[in-house]
Order: sequence, then C-alpha cells, then structure tokens
Amino acid sequence: MGFLAPWFLGGMVAVGLPVWLHLLRKHRTTPTPFSSLMFFERREQSSIKHRRLRYLVLFALRTLLIALIALAFAQPYIQQKLLPLARSGQITVLAIDNSLSMRADGRLDQAKRMAKSVIGGLRPGERAEVLAFGSRVQVMSEITDDHSPLNGAVDAIEPSDARTSYGELVRSLRSIAQATKQPLDVHLYSDMQQSGMPANFNDLRLNAAVKLEPHAIDSKPVANFAVENVVAPRRVYDNKKTRVLATIVGTNNQKAVRRVTLMLNQREIESKNVEVPENGRATVEFLSLEAPFGANRGEVRIDSADALPNDDHFFFSVERVEPSHALFVHETGNTRGLLYFQNALQASGQAAFVIDEATVEQTANISPAKYAFVVLSDVGSLSPTFENALRSYVRNGGGLLVALGHQSVANAKVPGTDLRVEGTSYASRELERFQAAAYLDTGHPSIQQDNRWGDVKFYQAVRVEPGQARVAVRLTDGTPLLLDEQAGDGHVLVFTSTFDNVENDFPLHASFVPFVEQTARYLGRLNDSQTNVLVGSFAELRNSKEKGAAVDVLDPRGERALSLEEAARAQNIQFTMAGFYDIRRPSGRNEMVAVNTDRHESDLTPVPPETISLWQNTAQGGPAGAGGENGEAAPKPLSLWWYVMLAVLALAFAESFLGNRHLAVDKEAA
Amino acid sequence: MLQQFLDPALLASISGLDLIAKTVVNGFVAGLHRSPDFGFSQEFAEYRAYNEGDDLRHVDWNVFARTDRCYLKRYRGETNTQILVLMDTSASMSYGSHTVHKLDFSKFLASSLCYMANLQRDAAGLIIFDEDVANYIPPSTRQGQIFRLLHAIEKAEPGTRTDFAKPFIHFQNYLHRKGLVIVLSDFYADPETIVKTVEPLRFKGNEVILFHILDPQEIAPKFREPMLLVDMENPTASLEVSPEYARYEYKHKIDSHIEALSSKARSAGLDYFLMNTSRPLDEGLREYLFIRQGRM
Repeated sequence: MGFLAPWFLGGMVAVGLPVWLHLLRKHRTTPTPFSSLMFFERREQSSIKHRRLRYLVLFALRTLLIALIALAFAQPYIQQKLLPLARSGQITVLAIDNSLSMRADGRLDQAKRMAKSVIGGLRPGERAEVLAFGSRVQVMSEITDDHSPLNGAVDAIEPSDARTSYGELVRSLRSIAQATKQPLDVHLYSDMQQSGMPANFNDLRLNAAVKLEPHAIDSKPVANFAVENVVAPRRVYDNKKTRVLATIVGTNNQKAVRRVTLMLNQREIESKNVEVPENGRATVEFLSLEAPFGANRGEVRIDSADALPNDDHFFFSVERVEPSHALFVHETGNTRGLLYFQNALQASGQAAFVIDEATVEQTANISPAKYAFVVLSDVGSLSPTFENALRSYVRNGGGLLVALGHQSVANAKVPGTDLRVEGTSYASRELERFQAAAYLDTGHPSIQQDNRWGDVKFYQAVRVEPGQARVAVRLTDGTPLLLDEQAGDGHVLVFTSTFDNVENDFPLHASFVPFVEQTARYLGRLNDSQTNVLVGSFAELRNSKEKGAAVDVLDPRGERALSLEEAARAQNIQFTMAGFYDIRRPSGRNEMVAVNTDRHESDLTPVPPETISLWQNTAQGGPAGAGGENGEAAPKPLSLWWYVMLAVLALAFAESFLGNRHLAVDKEAA
Repeated sequence: MLQQFLDPALLASISGLDLIAKTVVNGFVAGLHRSPDFGFSQEFAEYRAYNEGDDLRHVDWNVFARTDRCYLKRYRGETNTQILVLMDTSASMSYGSHTVHKLDFSKFLASSLCYMANLQRDAAGLIIFDEDVANYIPPSTRQGQIFRLLHAIEKAEPGTRTDFAKPFIHFQNYLHRKGLVIVLSDFYADPETIVKTVEPLRFKGNEVILFHILDPQEIAPKFREPMLLVDMENPTASLEVSPEYARYEYKHKIDSHIEALSSKARSAGLDYFLMNTSRPLDEGLREYLFIRQGRM
C-alpha cells in the first residue's frame, strides 16, 4: 500500500481535537453548590459511567472520522496484479505506411510481407484490421477473423506520394479504440521517418487500451538527394527576363556533384553540374526559359541514383501570356502621375501589364471592359457614359484604382463609386508639416508584402467617408488614405492622394514600386489561383456562378480524376499524385497545376529507438508489453480513495446520529 | 401591563424593599380592579348596632335620622387581623439559578405581604429563622411598624441549616392572638415532620399558609453534563450527578416530596402553595387575599 499524496497524512494531528474535547477537557469538573442533596443518591455513579462510555463511543467515531479524512486526502492505493487475461477480445491492427519514402528499396513490399506473416499467425477467432497511412489513414479492411480479406487488403495497399503522419495514425487508433471498446494490438510497419513525427509529442499519446508494436523496415540512415524547391514565374511575358532557381538538398550524404537539368514540356532546356555539400543544399540558376504561349510543364531533375528516385524531380507550371492592358486616365496636362505609375510598374520586373493612357476627354469612346484594370488619376468630372461603363465594369469583376487630388475634390462622390467626398485635409492647416501613414492593414493585398510607409510624407489628402469600404491605410489624423470597396464581383481601390509627387512624396520612396505592383496584380486578378502545390493539397473547382457546369480534371497519368457526377458537382479536388493536373474549367480557361511531393519525405533519417520506446510508453505508463506477453501479472495501482470516502460517509452518519442524541439532552438543559 | 411589575427578575433591579413592596402591591391592586369578584379597602361591609364605647365618628347619622337608632357603618378594611410572617433564611434559601435567589424572592413576598397588611390596617409581625429564631418583630398596627418590618426583612442574611422543630416551639409562645400565619420556606425536611411541627399553630385557631419557595432548577433540574454538587447547608457533602439522573430520578423524587407535603398540609387544614421563583409574585398575594377574605 502506498500514498499518492502522503503529505496529507499530516492532517492526522487534527485527531488531537476530539482527544482534547473528550478526554482532556472532561476532567475539569468544578463543584456547583446546590440547595440540598437530600434527593440525590450515591448510586448514580453507574449512570455517569454509562454516559462516559457513550461519550467514548462518540470520541472513537470522531477520532476515526478525522483519521480517515486525512487518509482519503493522502490517496492510498494498493498494487493490484492484473493478469494478461484482461486483454481478451483484443483486435490486432496492422498499420502499413504507404507514404512516398516507402517506395525506397522496396520497403512497402517488405512491410506487406511482414504484415502477412502476422495475419498467418493469428489464432482462430482472433480479429484483425488493416490500415494504410500516409498523411491520412485509409481503412483497408473491416475487423474480421477471416485471413483472406485481410491478406487481400494488404495486397491492395498501393504506394502513394503522401507524406508520413504518425500523429494522424494515432488519432485514428484512438477513435477505433473508442468505437470498438476493445483493446488494440497495433503492429506498425513503417520506415519510422523522423520527419513523420508531429511537432508536439503529446499528439502521439496512445489510449491505455492500445498496445503499439513498431516494426521498423529500415532503421539505418540512407543517403538521398532531392530537388527541394524550384522558384519559377507562374506567368512569363518575356522569355528573356525569365529566371528559374532550383535548390538541391542532400540528406545523410557525402559531398557529391549532381547534374541538374531544366526541362520544359519533356524537352531538355539546359543542364548544369552542382556540388552538393554533405548534409547541405546547393542552388542552380537557369536564366532562360523559352516557353511557348500557353500552359507549359516545367521540370527540374537531378541524376541522383539514390534509393528514392521519386524526389529527384520537381514539377512547375509556367504559362506564357501576352501582357494585359491597363487604362490610365488623367486630366489633360497632368501626366506626372502617369510617369511615376508607369515607371513603377516597369521597375517591378513584371511586364504583366501595358499601360494605355487616356485623358478625361478621350474616355467617352473607350470601353473599360477590355482592360485588366483602370486607373483614374486625379480626374474631375467624367462623362456619364464612361462612368456608367466603369460601374458596370467593376460589378462584373473589373478592378478600378482611383487617386484623388485637387481636381477630384470638386466631385461630390469618388468617380465610379458611391463613396462621398467630404473635403480636403491639408497637413499645413493642422499646424503639421506633413502627415504620415499611421495605420496599415497588412492583410490587404496591396501592402501585404511591403508595408514600410513610415517615411512617406503626405501633405494633402482628400477626406472620403469610408462607409462600408475597408480602410487599408490611415494617416496620423485618422484620414483614410487607402480604401477598398467591393462592388459586385470587382473592387475599387481609392487612394485619397495623388501619384504625382506633389501632394505627397510617395513616388520617391522604395515602397511605391511594390505598392503599384501588388495593386496591379490585385486589381488585374493575377493572384487568383495556385499552380504549384504539394501532394494532399486541395483546389477549388468552381465558384458560385459555375454551379452545374462540368469541370474536367486530368491527372498526371492523363486519366480523368473525377467521375461524371463529380465533374458536375464537386467543389474541390485533392491532388494525390505528384505530376501535372490539367484543370479545364467551364469558362474555357485551362490551368496546369504542378503537384510535388512533400520534401520532408526525402529525409530518410529514422526515429531514434528511445523516441519509439517513449511513444510505446504513452499507453501503459511502463515499458510496452512488460508482463503481458509472458503471462506474468502486471502490477497496477488501485486507488482506495473511494472506499475510504465511503467509510468516512458512514462514520459521519453514525457520528451525526450519536452526536444528535447527546445534543438533544444538552438542548433540553439549555 | 402592570403584571410585569410583579416579575421577580424585574423587581430585583429595584433597590429598597419598601419600593418593591409598594410596586408589587400597587401593581397587584390595580390589576385587581378589573375583577368584580375581588375587592377590599374601604368597601361597605355591614351595619352594626352601636355599643357603648364605640367611636361616634362611625355612626351613620342618616340612618339615625330615619330610624332614631344608632348604627355604626363598618367597612371591610376595618376588620383587623393579626398576620405573622415566618421567613426561613437557612443556607439553602440562598440558592438561585437565575437573578432572583429564593431568599430574595422570599424577601419580596414577605415585604409585599407586610405592606398589604399595613394597607389593610392589619397587625403584621415577622419571625426570621433558620435553625433558630434570628429576629422577631411582634405584630402591631403602630405607626412605623411597616418600616420596622421592612428593615428586618432587608437585614435578613442566609443562615445555617433549617430546623423547624426548635423555632416553631418559640412561635407558639409568641402567638397570643388568633391570626394568619404565613410560612415562607423551601421545606427541605420530611413532609411529615414539617406538618407535625406546624400543625399546632392551626390548633390554636390560626390560619396557616405554607409558601413552598423553590427555584425552577430545583423543581426540574437540567444539567448539560455530569456535575459535582455541593450541599449548601452542609458543604462537606458533595455528589457527582449525571444529567440523566437529575432529569428522571431526582425529578420524580422532588415531585413526590411536593405532592406529599401538599397533601399532608391540606389534610392538616394548612394551606399549601408552591412558589416558583421564576413566576410572578401575584400568585402569593392572591392566595393571601383568599384566606384574608375567608376570615372576614
């Protein structure tokens, strides 16, 4: 017998209280004068003795009560011997890792063979289940004692490109144990990759009913080279300005030279040798990518000749397109804004847009619908036709950037929107030389990547009532500087100052170029979709307007990834294979999505045995399988707290009953 | 309302027995006015034929004018009685479980009785005794008698033990006229002995009232725990008593004692009255008036 909280036994000193009350205090009897003793007799002494005896019973009850309360708080326990028979009815779970790393050196086949040998050793009536896991867990068979479906399920496990997630496996095991309410004997067949362990070890905690038996397929660190990452533009507007940067990584390797090849549409573009240091990285830069117009399949591959060839190439999708046109509207004679805006766009290195300029007078015959976005740079009144066309353009998904200056103040509203113009805010009138940007909403796409606006001086800004618009930037006096209003499917960005280096010095600062570039990409909708993702990622297939229209998806093998019903209804698709997915949307736009395996799988370093041992111990609190297998009794602490508390309860009742009887006499005497 | 002035506990806070007696009697009388059955003082009682030597002031001249006969108009208050109060001051009378001890209560009662007797123009006397006669004031209607009586009552101190036999022999010597004898005591003696001792007073034509003065704790003792009791009349005697014994057996014994004393006294023609020191004094006065009325 032991105690979980032995320091509570110190509470036993409280036993002194009833001792004092009953034994010590009692002896101090003071003589009381009484008028006459003629009606009292000697024989009442026996009555007193009887009464004292009853008090002694009460004393004993109280002493025992206090002692038991102290004992209960100390939480006594005894070691109970549990026989392995307690695990009767257990289910054998065969969990086989089919992640990418299991493709190396036939590891998956080896795991399957080992699992089958366990199935062959199952006793009649002993039930088992087969699981395959990578980043997700697949239940390959139902719980059965029939060997045939179990063997069939093991055979059906295919290698995948997913990454290992032991945390996901443990979550599934916990839910299986809870659902079946039976003990699980889990045989884990995996290469026990270190990179598959969750960040928080607590995620590996097993239920008490789960006994884990890991079978490491290959516990030795294996050298492996992989193309870790490729940085390539998603869209190419000018082949001469295209640059591709590849990173080659080696794990558990010696220093070696690898040949890196850039390929486009299965055609070799360029090859380079690179020296990969021991357990290090090397980068390779390709400065030309002669991509034809349309979607292209890019690939960087290395000749690694290692155990895991699946990570020797990295796919990327690149689309060659013509630059889009953007309309820049300004007042006649005021071209300073155009100068700064155009130069900033060109300086960004992306020739995604070509600026078409127009004065306010020329806009009457221009349709904004053919432009990727429109910029109104400090314009006065627009022709109603053009303004209506602008509103319609925005509602249909177009982008509009409005810069407000002294010309715009005359308007009651911001052109193209319903935002109300309240007046002009001059910094000098407020006894300030200039205003600065005091608040920046860094989540806004226009300032997401560069928000160093601290040094920019704003001398004048137009005060606009923001209404429902999102305020992305505010000046120090609270005047909104950048507002984003959604109108229909499009957006209107209102910059309440100008781009002409008169009302502010923003165009002279470094943050102007990324602002213009990001704003152009945001309004021109160049950020909509991702084309380079990892295995296991999801992509949206349709928006709310495209309900019911079929979306065709061809997987890397060239087969349809969706059934006809799924093609018409599915909202998302998960990319399960490495390679190129060709998504054909109902709008006629095709997307080439490059899917790569998670490069965590390239690190074949196994988990240290100590970590595995710790993992096993999370289930039993002692070495896994200690006792159990050998038929020995496993000691388990059995808490006596409840029994002691029940005794305390019974004693409390007895004490109350007896105490009340004594108290009744006292009350009458009172 | 006025009954509250008869509460012994309240009276204990008043200093001076004369004031206590006045408070009690006035309160009691004022309370009586509500009842048509009681009355005393200068109420008309009877006409009596004039005899020689009678005071001419009491002749009803109206009757004489109508009938040519002399009649004296008599009032109740003018029927004189000799009253002798015997007050026990033995050690046991000093017992009290609350603010008023038995001796205090006895003093209140005695002084009230004397005061009332004085109002009635009765000749009141007092004997204070324990095992012997401690003080004796003969009955008289002289001026200042009430103050002598009250002074004697106030001076009374707890004495030794009670012995009825010795002082009662003396009482018989003091009593020359028939009258009312009031005995105030806790009667801690054998009822037979008490009655036999007091009985001769009755034989001489006296009305005898026994006021048995007991503390509530003596009538029904309630102890929280076993107690070591010491006899007040014999400090060498002590006894440890359990609450159960006091609650059942002692109660039974004291009840038997009271019952025996009551029945024996009544059978001997003595009036017996149990006075609980926690009860108001008017019960004692009422008893006195009953007897007093009966004598008229």
